[in-house]
Amino acid sequence: MEKKHSLSSKGWLWLFAGTVLLLALLVAGFNICTDPFGAFGDPVMGWWSYNETMNPRVAKLSYLDRNHSLYDSYIIGPSSTSSFPTGALNQYFDASFYNMTMYGADMLDVEQMGLYVLEHYEVKNLVVSVYIHCAEVYHTEPNPLTYGMPCKADGSNPILYYGKYLFASPKYGMEKLKAWRSDPYLQQPYRVFDQQTGAYDKSRRDAEPIGSLENYLSRSAYSVFQNYPTGTGSISYLQPCMDSLTRLRDACAQKGVTFTVVCPPMYGQYLEQFSQKDQEAFYNALAEVTDYWDFSLSSASFDPRFFYDETHFRNDLGTMCLARMFEDPEVYVPQGLGRYVTKGSIPGAPHGSKADERTYTTEVPVLLYHHLAETGEGTDIISLNRFRSHMDALRENGYITVFFEDLQAYVQSGTPLPEKPVVITFDDGYESNYTMAYPLLKEYGMKATIFTIGVSMGKDTYKDTNQPMNPHFSLEQAAEMEASGLIDIQSHGYNMHEVVGRDQDPVRKGLLQKEGESEADYLAYLQKDFEQITQAIGKTPTVFAYPYGATAELPAVVLHQQGIYSTVTTVEKSNILVQGLTQSLLEMGRFYMTEAVTAQQLLELLNGESQ
Amino acid sequence: MSFTSIAFLCFLMLGLLVYYLVPGKWQWMVLLAASWVFYYSAGWHGFLYLAFTTISTYSAGLLLGKLNKARSQLPPEQKKAGAEGIKRKKKWVVACTLCLNFGLLFVVKYYNFTAEALHLPLPSLNLLVPLGLSFYMFQSIGYVIDCYRGKYEPQRNLAKFSLFTSFFPQLIQGPISRYHELGPQLLRPHKFQADNLKYGIQLAMWGYLKKMIADRAAVPVNTIFGDLEAYGGAFVAIAVAFYCIQLYCDFSGGIDIAIGAAQMFGIEVTPNFRRPVFATTLTDFWRRWHITLGTWMKDYVFYPMSLSKPLGKVGKFTRRKLGGKLGKVIPTSIATFTVYFIIGIWHGANFRYIFFGFWNGIIITGSFLLSGPLIALRNLLHIQENSLVHRWIGRARTMLIVFMGRYITRAPRLLVAFSLLWKTVSTPCLYQLRDGTFMTLGLKALDYWVIGIGCIVILTLEWFQEQGTPIRKTLEKKSVFVQWLCIFLPLLILLVMHILGGEYISSEFIYKQF
Repeated sequence: MEKKHSLSSKGWLWLFAGTVLLLALLVAGFNICTDPFGAFGDPVMGWWSYNETMNPRVAKLSYLDRNHSLYDSYIIGPSSTSSFPTGALNQYFDASFYNMTMYGADMLDVEQMGLYVLEHYEVKNLVVSVYIHCAEVYHTEPNPLTYGMPCKADGSNPILYYGKYLFASPKYGMEKLKAWRSDPYLQQPYRVFDQQTGAYDKSRRDAEPIGSLENYLSRSAYSVFQNYPTGTGSISYLQPCMDSLTRLRDACAQKGVTFTVVCPPMYGQYLEQFSQKDQEAFYNALAEVTDYWDFSLSSASFDPRFFYDETHFRNDLGTMCLARMFEDPEVYVPQGLGRYVTKGSIPGAPHGSKADERTYTTEVPVLLYHHLAETGEGTDIISLNRFRSHMDALRENGYITVFFEDLQAYVQSGTPLPEKPVVITFDDGYESNYTMAYPLLKEYGMKATIFTIGVSMGKDTYKDTNQPMNPHFSLEQAAEMEASGLIDIQSHGYNMHEVVGRDQDPVRKGLLQKEGESEADYLAYLQKDFEQITQAIGKTPTVFAYPYGATAELPAVVLHQQGIYSTVTTVEKSNILVQGLTQSLLEMGRFYMTEAVTAQQLLELLNGESQ
Repeated sequence: MSFTSIAFLCFLMLGLLVYYLVPGKWQWMVLLAASWVFYYSAGWHGFLYLAFTTISTYSAGLLLGKLNKARSQLPPEQKKAGAEGIKRKKKWVVACTLCLNFGLLFVVKYYNFTAEALHLPLPSLNLLVPLGLSFYMFQSIGYVIDCYRGKYEPQRNLAKFSLFTSFFPQLIQGPISRYHELGPQLLRPHKFQADNLKYGIQLAMWGYLKKMIADRAAVPVNTIFGDLEAYGGAFVAIAVAFYCIQLYCDFSGGIDIAIGAAQMFGIEVTPNFRRPVFATTLTDFWRRWHITLGTWMKDYVFYPMSLSKPLGKVGKFTRRKLGGKLGKVIPTSIATFTVYFIIGIWHGANFRYIFFGFWNGIIITGSFLLSGPLIALRNLLHIQENSLVHRWIGRARTMLIVFMGRYITRAPRLLVAFSLLWKTVSTPCLYQLRDGTFMTLGLKALDYWVIGIGCIVILTLEWFQEQGTPIRKTLEKKSVFVQWLCIFLPLLILLVMHILGGEYISSEFIYKQF
């Protein structure tokens, strides 16, 4: 028998409306819970680095509303602003900075965000970064979801604003969940901000080794500098840009907040797209509004290694700008970096020119030795006589041995290096270094760095077994050598030299991640090894030799974060050190010194490479 | 404002709200305002064309009305002589209106094609074809001809008339309505009726589901036709099959949304499709596919032509010379070919479409000519005319003819269409069916499932409709839960598919450099 249910048309319409409402609530609920743009305070995941990547304007204010008590100063501007490192800002301003970098920010964004911060938080300093492009665009919003301003900052209709994020495609939330599930340690394109500082997370970029200019330009990521495109810019929005800045200046004055304006460095050819007249107009107009520091052009602007692209410069350059502002004698500053423009002056267009590369770069060879014996053998054992002949050759030919810290001083502080510097290194920490090499070095007054394997120190058998191996010097012997001021003991890893047959399969290749090893386990291993080597050598290492020369990005980033300022590999090449670029100390090459290399060949190698 | 945009849904909701809130006598103004907003959102250029057609056909209607009235008021003694004069004037009015409007249509749509095809040394024009031009133009021309025939009194109020030409649900892609059917409905007050809203929503939802299928079916079609060299004949046939699905789902889905939207306002629009997949002959197909274009052609081209004096003379001549059947066929064929020529060219300015019209004309005339031998064959095989076998043979045959016709309309050029047909038969490259090519066409497995299940659902429902089952009435008798499922599932599917197929701005795109 057929059952008859009747649902009136009105009933049907209510059911339909209810279902539509239900689905709408489901979408809205999902969007609130996942909150990929941070519009609702990300109540469940609290993943701000992700939200800020999706929309820095919305997410940053949302984050600051909850955490502004951690900060007392703010730096605001378009994305290049991020390259003024928060650590350096804190140090020089003696403050606690938050970086409000927003991609694609125009001066209206900067004004509105700045005014909100001034109005709602306690502020000591407000630093605004402004460059000539800010006069090219004004009040743009390429996409409402990713570029939209928070309604509390631009005064837009809150219903439309929250509606936009409530009913945004749930795809955004789904992508966030997907990213959350698989999020690895290395910085990812979906989370480019550092939650704590608000700046771009440059952990990967800062750990990237940089050497010669040719090598830098050959990388596909920096191909823009190969054939720099020519274009024409126009400063159609100069007036509104300056008006925004003026209002921000006045608001700061009213609140008693220190207002600082900086023009960030830019790649030399970028500025060329603006006519001389436009350049003058921009910098003169800025001087009508306020005093400012102009870092637009300097010798660094003509060396692509200080840039990722035409307007994004490396953190090191940002640090140097701040050091220049605060006249820090400890920090090297490129030729012509920074001019202070006072309000009311007519500064004109910035000037800058390419510096002779020889004035700020130096080529440094690094030699790699291992074990010494009466007779040399293979690649790792060199006879004392051969070693002595090498040292004689170096001494007689005017080579001066230096430590890595000398290289660091050259790069960071501009401390000059000897005319013919050379770095001598020993890997593994054999006792022969102490018994044979050290006395000779002492006799000659030459310096060397020894990278010891922590687990082998003071041992002549392989790790907890009876298998014999070449004896290694002890911590006491290491301390004695270091006390002489001629030897620097550094890390070759505590336990990063697993050997097939001796260690459990599968063996780790140097410090690399094992196949099938989880990232968490691997990171724990790296951390533990660092703690063990620190204990083994009795000091925190600052230089690291990659075991077997094996390198990878993840360990490079971890080492950098552990405070290792220089790393060496086994790639046979000389090294170009660039003053102001600490990354030129990373993954340095070394020449393999074996019994087969005669003193003459060594000199030829050094000469050949240095010519 | 596309039917499938969120903006349209909001616009529709707002329109309905205002429509049912204002007093009945103002409702038509709400519709007119909504229609103008709708059309204006596509750009003001199109608005000018629409205004031109509206004003010219409105004026023609008025003039014809006056002439009709003058004729009826002629004193009996002058009736014959006066009527002739008035008729001549009326013809002039219609001719001028047709020239003006079709002239405009020609310039916008066919000028470049004609100049190129005839190698005329004329500069090419770069005009944007305004949305729905041929639809509202045919609709307005129908009105003028009806006025000429004195079928009804012309509309005197320009604003009211312009609602007829611009009524937004059917403005972009039809159906092509008749004034006496649509006009009075548009102007009449409509009280809110839950039934209308409910049926309108149901039909529109159905249309949206079809559109969703069409959007997916379009992907492999574009992939394969974008790189024809890479695919064997089998995949070309598959692409054409997907194109058939795309075309039907897109067009009929759009019409469902249009009719549904109109119904929400209490306005009944002439249906435009009647399950064409079940057509048993090509003529039957054209009575089920884009129905309003077919009836327009029948009423304003085919019959007037068949009954015209010149064709009558041709008929007499051929009957005398060729005798019987053939003599009858020729004048009909001329009219048929003309109709399909216009239908072909109506679809677009290209030789493909002209040939497409020709192809339909040939089949229809041919089947008429061959009807004698075919009936003989049927009798020989002892097949009843109304038997199931006969119907299915007819359906399969019609589907094949339509399918082949789609090669012509989808191929980039006419000659390519022939070579593709040949390729399908000669080099199908069947191995491509098994080597994973399917997954490289731009669709994911889920999309194929959506298309497959969607087609099955459509065919099943249409089959029941074809059998005379009223779907919506049947549904009303089901339990509340089943009725709710029929709301929830389509909405959920539409939502999920909208999300999966929707735009997503990847952060990776933003951060190529940072």
